[in-house]
Amino acid sequence: MKKIVLLFFALLLSLGGYAQEKGSVLITGGTVMTITDGNKENTDLLIEDGIITEIGRDLSAPGGVEIIDASGKYVMPGIIDAHSHIAAVDVNEWTHPVTAEVTMEESIDPNDINMYWALAGGVTSIHLMHGSANVIGGQNETLKLRYGGDMDALRFDGAPRTIKFALGENPTRVHGQRFNVQPRTRMGVEQVVRDHFDAALDYRRNRREYLEAREAYKEGAREEAPVPVAKNARMEVLVDILEGEIRVHCHSYRADEIMMLMRVFDDYDIEDYTFQHANEAFKIAPELRKNSAYTSVFSDWWAYKFEVYYSTAFNASILNASGVINSINSDSGELIRHLNHEAAKTVHYGDTSKQDALRMITINPAMQLGIDEKVGSIEEGKHGDVAIWSGHPLSIYSLAEATFVDGKKYFDRDEDADDMRLEVNPADDFEHADRRWYEEHGRRGGTCLRGAEIRFNEQEMQFRYQTN
Amino acid sequence: MAVSLPGWAQPAGAFENVIIHTADGEVIDGGTIVWRNGIIRSVGAEEEVAIPFDAYVRDGGDSLHVYPGFIDGMAFWGSPDDNGPGGTPDEPGNPGYERAGIQPQRYPSEHLKSNDQALEKAAEMGFTAAVLGLEGRMLPGQVDLFFVKGNQTPDNLLERGLGVLAQFSEARGSVYPSTTMALMAQFRQLFYDAKAQHQQQEYFASVSSNYPAPTNEKVLEALYPVMELEQPFFFVADSKENIERMLWLQEEFGFDVILVSGKEAYKTAEELRRRDIPVLAGIDLPEKPDWMSADGEENNENDEEGGEEKDRNTKQQEVTEEMQHFRERQQKAYEERINNIKSLRESGVRVGYGSNGLKISDIRKNLLVLKEEAGMMEPQLLNMLTQSTADILGYGQRLGDVKEGRLANFTVFDNPFTEEKAKGLFSVSNGEVTELESKTSN
Repeated sequence: MKKIVLLFFALLLSLGGYAQEKGSVLITGGTVMTITDGNKENTDLLIEDGIITEIGRDLSAPGGVEIIDASGKYVMPGIIDAHSHIAAVDVNEWTHPVTAEVTMEESIDPNDINMYWALAGGVTSIHLMHGSANVIGGQNETLKLRYGGDMDALRFDGAPRTIKFALGENPTRVHGQRFNVQPRTRMGVEQVVRDHFDAALDYRRNRREYLEAREAYKEGAREEAPVPVAKNARMEVLVDILEGEIRVHCHSYRADEIMMLMRVFDDYDIEDYTFQHANEAFKIAPELRKNSAYTSVFSDWWAYKFEVYYSTAFNASILNASGVINSINSDSGELIRHLNHEAAKTVHYGDTSKQDALRMITINPAMQLGIDEKVGSIEEGKHGDVAIWSGHPLSIYSLAEATFVDGKKYFDRDEDADDMRLEVNPADDFEHADRRWYEEHGRRGGTCLRGAEIRFNEQEMQFRYQTN
Repeated sequence: MAVSLPGWAQPAGAFENVIIHTADGEVIDGGTIVWRNGIIRSVGAEEEVAIPFDAYVRDGGDSLHVYPGFIDGMAFWGSPDDNGPGGTPDEPGNPGYERAGIQPQRYPSEHLKSNDQALEKAAEMGFTAAVLGLEGRMLPGQVDLFFVKGNQTPDNLLERGLGVLAQFSEARGSVYPSTTMALMAQFRQLFYDAKAQHQQQEYFASVSSNYPAPTNEKVLEALYPVMELEQPFFFVADSKENIERMLWLQEEFGFDVILVSGKEAYKTAEELRRRDIPVLAGIDLPEKPDWMSADGEENNENDEEGGEEKDRNTKQQEVTEEMQHFRERQQKAYEERINNIKSLRESGVRVGYGSNGLKISDIRKNLLVLKEEAGMMEPQLLNMLTQSTADILGYGQRLGDVKEGRLANFTVFDNPFTEEKAKGLFSVSNGEVTELESKTSN
């Protein structure tokens, strides 16, 4: 009966176009970097129907399951990028300082070739984020890079909801310094958050009272007709944040603004949050640890605008040594292709252990996104999201040779054709179509301020060319 | 310019010795068609049809073709340009409905320009009825059904408010909603606000005192019929993803919807069929890639063209493996796109026609592409332009065919309508004959 139910369910899904295909594969003889249980040399890894079922020696493949010899190679969990803007239609709904109602779930571009290039860097999941133009931006969406699938197929099923916040120069410049709209200053940023949380609490009470009164009136238990309180898409999301149903990922740089937001969150009992970029987080590592706050940072990238002059390549290592769960992210269509190098810099600069460096691009971002029960390490029962590397992933000479999501291979260096785009425009000529996205945008494309560049004119700083 | 002859339609009208094409593909040679008071009274072979004594009879000389009047399910002929209030408001996040492009309360019948030449060209092309909308952004207004009669079209309204036009079109300039995701959120919020206002109006009406007066926001009121399934959205969407977004909204709010344009609708055909969502398909087809058009002509061109051109062509012939691969994919993409309508029909989706802004001068050219490259037969094209569109609009018993009892809407051509040289000679709309004096052959 259970099988029939499952079959029926699978049929329903296939009708709805939820093509989240799963595969099976036996990868033999490699060094399996489990992340949570050390490295295991000459070890086999069996993935069946998308799930890791066995890790050990001399495993045999069930009938029909492909065997891949990884002798002399490394098998690593798929890299998870906690801050990405690839595969997006739009990134910033920058017209209002609070746009919690919009969601990147509805802004996915399933045809973006950047996903394939990220797979070639061993990445299997991304946190597709709203931009940083607004104090409270839109909701983010966690994706699996099932390249070739449609919008629904790309979703990471069961990943918790998250939302983007932003502090400092981006929201103050976009709103207060261009329009007569709060916030113009960091003080204003704090007030925008507090005002909207207070409004959300009022809304929750009013809306609930109305719904109860409506029912009572309908049933004759109340004489006076109630005055309707319309459902409000923005407030509903803010209420969900206050009720702990949505994790906050906040764009931030300076230590003072990070401390400010932690105080605000403490006032409203918001507990699950990650500071993105957080270039000055090293200054307040103990406070972050005390609040169980997460950080997700660049390895060695700063001084691209005033508020981010003060930073250090030791940021990640200091945070890690202080017990803060930290990840290294890309925020870029280019960096995402070599996040292994970015993680390796923590070993180079800060003497972080190789294991911890790898954690910063696997299990740590998984924890920040709330998907660590499913991915981020190689453990039996977890998803078969892995990559085979030609050598140790932290070596500059190593390459991802094959990348699997749910046991299905989405990248194979031996089968890497010239043109892996999903869409071909019938009207494009070859030369035009051949110009790849990164040649036009490079490291500067697909970043936090995409869509809001217009807000930064030449008299102000050259924001258009900066990544945030 | 069309010359209207209103006096002729009064008693009865008839064409005899004409080749009559019906919407289901039947061809009657030497046929006669008779109408009176705007209704077709009789259609058939000469011997089957009695022409009333008072009829004004035109002789087709056995060579003229009568087609049911084409219906454009979504056109913007006569619409004022979308150049409403621009600039940046004080608060870009709170621009107000009009500035945000939310104007579902507008009716085309109150705004159309009668001097738009497209209205006359449409008649020449064979259109005798059309759903007209206003150009705009997210919710530009209602759509109204008109008899097409050149510059008198705006005065010949058949039905007001057939539906509400919707599209994924962000507000102009620096204003909310400026992204696709905000459009989605805005659609939702409009439904929420309309529901609350409606509820308050009902409460207010049901009690005699002690209750605050509701707002009577016309924008929200215009959405009530959509919420109550009395009116469909005419929803313009082209990419597979935008069609899917429209389907998400439909699933959430349960409105009736007619998909307009739908360039990639074939990719969602199964779901459209499952939900019984009809498509008023556009025929704004992609340009054929140069290399596809050049194939086969290249040798001749080389002989005739100068040295520089020869070099260019020689270069074109050096097709690398990568380029060949690209061409194969491009050809497939091109063929999929031009086969959109055919694929939809084969999947069981109801397909009518909606120009959605396509220039009238491009219609015949693109119909020819559908006929010659996508293998659609002339009767299929005719059916899409007539009966099928009428069915989708709920006018299947009144418009869309030359049959007894239908509204007298048809066009007399000198040649089969898919032929390049075909020229409309008479347009009959609501029984009124207009002699077409087309200056161009199409």
